[in-house]
Amino acid sequence: MIQKKICMLGSFAVGKTSLVRRYVESIFSDKYQTTVGVKVVKKVVQSGDKEVTLVLWDIYGEDDFQKMRWSSFNGASGFLLVADGTRRATFDKAVELEKKVRQEVGAIPFVFVVNKHDRIDEWEFDDAIAEQIAAKGWTTIRSSAKSGENVEEAFSALLRKIMG
Amino acid sequence: MSSLSPFFVRELGYALFEPKGKDQFVTLTDTPPWLLDLWGLMPIAPAEINLAEKSPYLENFLDEANAFWKSDGSGECRSETWVESSPTEKEVPLQAIALRVQGKPVLALHSPDLAFREQVRTLQTARNALLDHERLLSEIQKKEILLHCIIHDLSQPLSVMHVALDCLSDEVMDAKRKKFIELGKNASEQQEAMIREVLQIFSADLRATLDAEKGDAEKSAASSPNLRRSADAVVTSLGPAFEAKQVRLVLTASQNADDIWLVRGEESRLRRIFSNLLENALRYSPAGSRVSITLEDDGEFCQANVDDEGPGLPPDLRPSQIFGLFSKGKEGGGKAGLGMYFCRITVERWGGSIGCASLPEKGARFWFRLPRAMATAGEQYKQAAIAPAAPPTPPEIPRTEGPLRILLAEDQDEIRMLTTHQLERNGHEVVAVSDGREALDKARDIPFDVILLDEQMPIVGGVEAAHKIRRDSANVSKRPCLIALTGNNTDEDHQRLRSEGFDFVLGKPFRLSALNDLFQRSAPSNQANLPSAQTPKDTERSAGLAAILERVGGDQKLLRQMIRTFLKDTPRRMSSLQRHIRRENSPEVAALAHAILGSSAIFGASEASKLARQIQVLGREAAFSQAEQVFEVLKEEIANLERNLRGYVGPKRLSSDSGTRRKPRRVAPKGSR
Repeated sequence: MIQKKICMLGSFAVGKTSLVRRYVESIFSDKYQTTVGVKVVKKVVQSGDKEVTLVLWDIYGEDDFQKMRWSSFNGASGFLLVADGTRRATFDKAVELEKKVRQEVGAIPFVFVVNKHDRIDEWEFDDAIAEQIAAKGWTTIRSSAKSGENVEEAFSALLRKIMG
Repeated sequence: MSSLSPFFVRELGYALFEPKGKDQFVTLTDTPPWLLDLWGLMPIAPAEINLAEKSPYLENFLDEANAFWKSDGSGECRSETWVESSPTEKEVPLQAIALRVQGKPVLALHSPDLAFREQVRTLQTARNALLDHERLLSEIQKKEILLHCIIHDLSQPLSVMHVALDCLSDEVMDAKRKKFIELGKNASEQQEAMIREVLQIFSADLRATLDAEKGDAEKSAASSPNLRRSADAVVTSLGPAFEAKQVRLVLTASQNADDIWLVRGEESRLRRIFSNLLENALRYSPAGSRVSITLEDDGEFCQANVDDEGPGLPPDLRPSQIFGLFSKGKEGGGKAGLGMYFCRITVERWGGSIGCASLPEKGARFWFRLPRAMATAGEQYKQAAIAPAAPPTPPEIPRTEGPLRILLAEDQDEIRMLTTHQLERNGHEVVAVSDGREALDKARDIPFDVILLDEQMPIVGGVEAAHKIRRDSANVSKRPCLIALTGNNTDEDHQRLRSEGFDFVLGKPFRLSALNDLFQRSAPSNQANLPSAQTPKDTERSAGLAAILERVGGDQKLLRQMIRTFLKDTPRRMSSLQRHIRRENSPEVAALAHAILGSSAIFGASEASKLARQIQVLGREAAFSQAEQVFEVLKEEIANLERNLRGYVGPKRLSSDSGTRRKPRRVAPKGSR
């Protein structure tokens, strides 16, 4: 069976763990519980006529308290770069992290996920930022781990990129 | 391994493994209980195990561990903590350590359960606090915008209403119309009170938050942001976005020294301003073009320019519209239209100014100026070397009833027009301009007594203009009195403006009476002009005159005009009244008596009013012989009143000025005085 390692990357409290739980277990909790360390879960999916085991590495969000350990990216086939649509600072962090991945790991497929689309009233991912992101050529998906909106689509889009 | 006590190691909670080939290990210790639950290993050593199969994380870490064992390095190689779920859904934190024991490779596994939970608790608290902090900052910015909307966007039209109603109420008109205007004034005052109430709630709340955040822009230079460093930080942060669009981003500063770029403000907001201006520039920049940030040292101010090579500003859009609320470019504009608005209100709040213009060949320049952190006027004037002649107290507005030379700088057309109208009507000589640069030009040419500066004006703001005017007039014997007109109406705002060098501050919406109060504060008492030798009735009338003067906002010129009108109209009315009494023309008698009643009452002539009322009633009742007797008494009362009023306006002026308004004199340029 084909196995693909996928890392979740982004600032703290953007919803990386919630996206994984929604995708793997179809559950969501409103309560923010910070991730310390790394959690690894698996999910078997169909990609065309092939069965693929996705090994999802839910990595803690980088901030002043915890710095990324790039060895977690060893062997990764791709990553979901996650930002919180209601917190402008998380876009800047995403841009910084993507650059770091290119330096540390090399160019590997990724999808930019702007999460918390259910809180559209507080949305800060405005046209100006969308243009900046579009200028980079990133694939961007607006998702909500809470409602499930585009969660499958985000992982599927990444898998399509990985499988070519 | 003989020196290791397997029992002791197990009791410490460690499991030890010896590598035996690719991913294969042999247990060296009996399996600790937590590992039994997790992986279901044989409890008694030795047992073989493929660790890579047991844990994807370990599979990854074993590459690092193997590299460590192959190296000559001493010490150990630790994994980060990872979390595995047991078959019973229990989360188990794990950490692996690659080490050498007596020269042989060993892998130790342990579950740092207590330490892990403590770490989770600490990080959870810290990150929750960070999220709260972010939310708070976001709320503060929203409140600032709301506060600004209330202060300016609601109070600006209110200012126009106040001034317009003030102007109207000074016109000569009947009581009914006066009443309507009073109603309008009362309603606008009520609205103003409501706005102030909302303002107070918000400003108190905001002030508490800002104090807590220690973000006060008025703090010492030590906590002031550095313009160049802020620009540099934003250039670094936005660099990737510019690279992606193939737009070159260049920052240059006119001075190398670092501390000269300390400006009034607050670091995070200053970065946001740069960020907004740069994002805007990027939006309109074609690939292959350049965006330049230049920082200029301009005496008491520092200026930052952001130049792009895009299409330039739309010809149909004025700079004031670009920085307005919800203003967006036609193409590729931001979503909410708050970015440029945020820049304007923030820069102006710090006593700076902001603007934009198309560049001559191509592209646009967005610029903003901020006062230096150490350059507040308050601090400056303490330095004798800069302003040796600066008096400790405001200069007195000239003690004269004659016209003052007033410069009015106000960018809002309606307020400028109405205030000019009213000041000229009061006999002052007014030069009105719409921005700070024009004000500076005029102030250089003409020696004004009073300069009224709106705090927030295009090109050069009121604070910057005040600094320059004070500096320019530091060596002249009499400098103009500087009055700030501002929509920022908290006590702190007024205090700040006074520390910037203003002698007086008038909050918007302001009443013309407040301005007149300032002008008349130093002027001789109006009462002194009233007739001096007075009978009891004269005193009564004078009291009436004083009351009228108060009612017309101390406008002596208006009072004189009213008196002249009375002196012109009343004799005609009295002759007509006498004629119609003799002709026994009932309606005309009643109407004329009513008119005389009204005009006498205006001047507090109660006896004359009473007599006119009697004639009005007698006329309606066709009792003309009685009316004629009362008329003789009225005639005497009116003659007394006219005499008194003539004493106030002077007999000479009566014939030449009656019913006309003198035009204000042309203001003479400096040197001609």
